[in-house]
Amino acid sequence: MKFLVSRFNPESDTSPYMQEFEVEVVRGMMLRDALLEIKRHDESFAFRHSCGEGVCGSDGVNVNGTNKLACITPISELTEPVEVRPFPGRPIIRDLVVDMTQFYQQYRAVKPWLVRDDPMPEQEILQSPEERDKLDGLYECILCGCCSTACPSFWWNPEKFHGPQALLTAWRFLADSRDQATDERLDALEGPYKLFRCHTIMNCVDVCPKGLNPTKAIGHIKTLMLKNAV
Amino acid sequence: MSRKASGLKAWAIQRLTAIYIGLFALYLVAVLLFAAPVDFVAWKEWIGGPLVSVMLLLFIVSVLMHAWIGVRDILIDYVHPIAIRASLLGLVAMALVGMGLWAAQALILVRMA
Repeated sequence: MKFLVSRFNPESDTSPYMQEFEVEVVRGMMLRDALLEIKRHDESFAFRHSCGEGVCGSDGVNVNGTNKLACITPISELTEPVEVRPFPGRPIIRDLVVDMTQFYQQYRAVKPWLVRDDPMPEQEILQSPEERDKLDGLYECILCGCCSTACPSFWWNPEKFHGPQALLTAWRFLADSRDQATDERLDALEGPYKLFRCHTIMNCVDVCPKGLNPTKAIGHIKTLMLKNAV
Repeated sequence: MSRKASGLKAWAIQRLTAIYIGLFALYLVAVLLFAAPVDFVAWKEWIGGPLVSVMLLLFIVSVLMHAWIGVRDILIDYVHPIAIRASLLGLVAMALVGMGLWAAQALILVRMA
């Protein structure tokens, strides 16, 4: 099967280019296996990967125009030639490896931890099953970056717009019954950039390998803001 | 821009005006399809009526606010150099206010005619 892979070596190249590889496909092969096969042909080829089963979120790449996790993308679902590129909108470090610094900065900015004013109980903070249910579809995010790097608003304003990943996380903590910083969190999201650059384009929902829905989470945040404002 | 410009307020106004613009547009289409004024006198009577003229004024204000928020969004997205963005925002504001005044003037003239 024919693969076109984006190559870029910062020491010798001025811009990225596509290189062709022929990979022998076997049954049940995932895109990550094909990339490993390419690396066996040419060991200078660089890409990130680790767990190989869609848990670590390391091997997000752009395949035939769509952001996917290579390890859980069956080769049989892809059309030939398979064009593999780095995430769009991110500075390329080498080949498929991109600089995700801004993505992690936006994640940190939403304070992705529980904030409590009450003194900590000696045991765990209890939560009813219904309260726990509200976190489903939020806590599963593995920070692979497929959504944020598919978002045009994040392409244009990655230093100011939180992006779908960080906003999903923001809602994950707003929705948590144990968190006590609702007002502070909502105040921090005010202004035209951090939250409101989202124009419900929904590329994030389209690409999320975990089937999560950041657009819906963003909608919940806006509704909660409106409720607290009027 | 980020210090003073609003997020939630702009977003809420955009949605609210969109609903009003949609409803009023439906009303306009319905009137023009099924009860279109036959001549200038009938049109003047219709457009100058107290309810219709207030609805029309509200519609004009809604369109202007909606347009302002939409254009502002586009400029925040795509135009990053602050001097160019500020100039464009100023130009758009002037154009929108101008159009609003023009429309208001037309409405007042109709009521006086």
